[in-house]
Parts: sequence; structure tokens; C-alpha cells
Amino acid sequence: MLLEIKNLAGGYGRGDIVKGITCQADAGEILCVLGPNGCGKTTLFRLLFGMLSPTAGEVYMDGRAGKELSSKKRARLAAYIPQNHTAVFSYTVLELVVMGRASHFSAMEAPRKEDREQALLALEKLGITHLAEKTYSSLSGGQRQLVLIARAVCQSAKILIMDEPAANLDYANRQLLMDVASELAGKGYCIVMSTHSPENPFSVGHKVLMMKEGRLAAFGVPGEVINPASLEEVYGIPMDVVSVRDRCGKERTICLPVKAAGAGMGGRSL
Amino acid sequence: MKPLGLSGQGEKTKREKRYGLILAVLLALLLGSVLISFWIGYYPLAPGEVAKAFLSRFGYRGEVSSQAVTIFWSIRLPRILSAVLIGASLSVAGSVYQGMFRNPLVSPDILGVSSGASLGAALAILNGAPAWLTQIAAFAGGILAVGCSYLISRRSAHSQTLSLVLTGSMIMALCNSGVTMIKYVSDPNDVLQQITFWLMGSLTKTDMGSVILAMGPMVLGLAAVLLFRWRLNLLTLEDEEAQSLGIHVRRYRLLFILASTLLSAAAVCLGGLIGWVGLMIPHMARALVGADHGRLVPACGMLGAAYLLLMDDLARSLLSMELPLGVVTSVMGAPFFVYLIIKRKER
Repeated sequence: MLLEIKNLAGGYGRGDIVKGITCQADAGEILCVLGPNGCGKTTLFRLLFGMLSPTAGEVYMDGRAGKELSSKKRARLAAYIPQNHTAVFSYTVLELVVMGRASHFSAMEAPRKEDREQALLALEKLGITHLAEKTYSSLSGGQRQLVLIARAVCQSAKILIMDEPAANLDYANRQLLMDVASELAGKGYCIVMSTHSPENPFSVGHKVLMMKEGRLAAFGVPGEVINPASLEEVYGIPMDVVSVRDRCGKERTICLPVKAAGAGMGGRSL
Repeated sequence: MKPLGLSGQGEKTKREKRYGLILAVLLALLLGSVLISFWIGYYPLAPGEVAKAFLSRFGYRGEVSSQAVTIFWSIRLPRILSAVLIGASLSVAGSVYQGMFRNPLVSPDILGVSSGASLGAALAILNGAPAWLTQIAAFAGGILAVGCSYLISRRSAHSQTLSLVLTGSMIMALCNSGVTMIKYVSDPNDVLQQITFWLMGSLTKTDMGSVILAMGPMVLGLAAVLLFRWRLNLLTLEDEEAQSLGIHVRRYRLLFILASTLLSAAAVCLGGLIGWVGLMIPHMARALVGADHGRLVPACGMLGAAYLLLMDDLARSLLSMELPLGVVTSVMGAPFFVYLIIKRKER
């Protein structure tokens, strides 16, 4: 098992925010993390990177316990892909991507030739070689997200942790990002992805972790654990899980919030 | 997925080739400014005299006035050295702080180093300390102020950079009111004047002794930043990102804060408050060589050294009386700052 989280708990000093999360994901799998805002997803990720130390439980990456990993060793096992952001300084795409190699050369060195090669190779894998000399901050949101993925790929880590890769992207780019994630999983990466759309796990996820208030609400195969009851428990609103057939005859699952006829603003008045 | 679009993998990019050329030009600019600075001044020296005065220390027995020798070795050389060292230190410290705080409008004072140094110097002058002790008090004051900012920020629940900015401005306010209080109680005909002159920022009184005193921490700070400069790139990212790329973020941040505090504290104790250099130069350097700190830091150092040297030449040759250097750099720097703000808005 590439990634194993065992009964993990931790927070920022005053009480735990993440409380007893257990889940696993293996090479070639996408683990989607579902949950409302503030459910502890960010804290969970910080625990994975060792920015926070767990108060209980442990993270195992490729069989090695998190507390035994230095930042450098951890970086070679797991890479992080933040929500697409704008860099303050105008780095070129290549300059930003090659930063993914930081754990491969010593602190007093600059990227070597082979690091630049790896960075170019990663750009090539994602089909964005033409962006290499462009200024990162001038790219579109979708392109920036691809660049951040390329940086994670050239880090040579097998676990990729994506923080809402589809956030703030338009519809086509969201689809593109999901396709890229599936493709990477197909190449043997283990992907952990937080998402706000509960149907994502059905289309790309092999496993899903549902969180509520820092606790584990459900973990398992999407088709088994995502149902109206679990969705209502996590999001606090009634939801339906509906199966439809798309024009290619493929079975698709979507999740919809429902409202009984005549019900007002959920009991609130405007 | 797609065939290679870029020929010659890992080859040097155009920008990197240009970098070598730019560095060479900057070096030439710096050496040129050093030469010019020996010539001009209240007592102009002809280029020939400069050369003779220089050689007189190395066994040259030709005719050269003893005045020229004294001016060369005891007045201009320490002054030029200080301008070069202070310019390089403030600019490099500026590039470090701008990178670390992910904000191109930050200057090296942000953690209170100048205010702390001013307070230290003012206290020393108030107690009638000799010049060398004032220098040491200023250095210690700067280090202490940053130390306080750093230690207090560690107790905060905000992100580390935000808490540093907050505690830094708090320490700055405290130190500044301390200086004001000292000015208020000091004798306006003697101590107050001295304090005011010290704070103005000038290289008039630099001698070889004070240059050597300040050189230690400056060389140490410059070496540390230069050695680890590529890693500064990682600190310009969000903390989570930098950590996930495999560096211990807090450790590196502490290293860079230590190094740039040494740099700016030593600069202040040598030349007083010289503003705007640490803010402006990194911008100019970034426009020349790009954002990558591997290239930015060396370019910053050279450009800053040349810039401050030329500003000091202006300060001592523009009018018949000498202008305070801090005033000259501010007059040149403030409009530049406005230009930056306008330019950022347009983007």
C-alpha cells in the first residue's frame, strides 16, 4: 500500500481538528476526499506533509512512518499540488517547474542539467512544452494548474496530493484536470484529491473518504459509500444520487440537492 | 504524449546566456564607479594622481603629493568601501525580505532592524559613548529588535510571515517612540544634534576602523545568502508548497532572517539610515535578470553597490556643501516607489 493513514489525529495546539482518520490508497488509485468547508481537509494535508505533527495515529508512505521521514525524504514520496495560484514574482514556467527538483540536489546548489531535463520531461508528459519560457503568472487558470502538476511530476514522487484541482476553473478545464488525474493514476501514481463535487468520485475516484467535522464519515468505494444518507450526513442538506445514461450509453452518476415541493428557503426567510 | 517541442534538452535558455553578459556589464559599472569615485570630490584628484597615490603603498617612489596619498587611503578608500558594502548589503537584504514576504514593496527595515539600530545609537550617544561604541550599540540594537520580532511572532497563531510583519511593525513603533523620547530629553545644543546627524545617514565620518568593524557581519551575511540563494525561490511560495518540495521552511526562513539582519544591521551601524536602496535595487535587478533568485541575488549585490556609490558621489559633489546620503537616496527613491505602484496597478 503506497499511502496508509492510520487513526490519524492532529491540529494546531488547541484540540485536534482531524480526529481519527483511517484510509488507504494504492498505486494507480485516486482517493477523493469529500466534505464541507472546514471539515479538516487542509489540516489533513498538512499532517501528510509533516507541517503538523500528529497527536495520535500515523501516516505511512510506501511503508515508512511519517515521523521517521525528513522533509527531503518525504518530498521524494509525496508531492503537493496546491490550488492554482498566482506567483508574486514573474518566474518562467520552467523556473517554477524545476523547483520540484529541490529535494534532489544539495541546499547550496542550483538546479543541475539533469534537473532541467527532468523538468522539461514533465512538461512534455503534460503536453505543455510550449509554455516552458512563458511567465507563469500570465497563464490561464487551467494552464497554471497543469504547470503545478508538472512540477509535482518532476519531483519523482509516487503520491500526488491535489488540493481541489478543479477549484476556480471553468467547465472545460475542470474536465481536463480530471482527465489528467485519471491518466496519471493510469501510469501508476497514487492520487489524493480533495473535491467539492460529490460526483467526481463516481467518474474518476477509485476510493472516497468522506469527512465531517474532522471525523471519518465514510471510507470505501464510491458506489458503496456515497448515498443520500451519507451525503446528507456530511453536507447537512437532503441529496439524491441519480443514475443517468449519457449519449454514448455509459452509465453516469450525479448527485443533486433536493427540495420538497413548497418548501421555502430551508426554513429561513430572506 | 507529444513530440518534443524544445530542441536540446536542458540546454541553457536565452535568459541564462544573457545573464552572463549582464553580470559582466554590472561588474564593469561597479569598477567604473569605483574609479570615478576616487577622482571626484571637494579635492579632485586627476586619474594619474589616483594611480600614483595607490602605488605609493606598494613601493612606488615617483612624485606624488602627500595630500593625495592621505586623501586616497584615509578618506576616499574607506568611504568607497563603505558605500560598496552598504549598497550591496542593503540590496541583498532587500531581495531576501521581498522574496520571503512574497511582497515586492517590502524593504529590509520590515522587522525593525533600522529602528532598533537607531534606538541603540541614540541611547549610546545620550550616554556620551565614543563613536565605536555607538556603532556597536546600533548593531546590537538592530539585532535585538529583529530578535524580538522573531521570537514574539512564534507565539502567534497567524501564518509565520503575517505574524512577522505584525510584530515587526510593533517593534518598529516601540523603538521609534524610544528614539523620540531620547531626543525629547536630550540637550538640544549637543546630544540632540549628534543624534539627528547620526540618524540622517551619511558616510562623511567613515574611517577604516569602522569599515573593518562592519565588514565581518556583512561578509558573513552575504556569504550565507549567496550560498543558499537558490532556495530563496522556494520561500516565495506558500508554506505548504515549500514544505512539500522538501525543505524545512521555518529553518530556512530563520537562516535568511539571520543573514539579512546581519547585513542590514551592519549597514545601518556603518552609514546610519539610508532608505530606499533595499527596496529599489531588487526591482531594477529583477527587470534585468528575471525573478529567479539564483541570478537575482548576485545582480542585486553588484547593482546596489554601484548605485549607492554613485549616489554618494552625487551627495558629495552636487552642491558646495555635502548633502546627507540618506536624503539623496530618498529623493531618488520615493518617486521610483510611486512609479512602481502605478505600474503594478496597470498590470
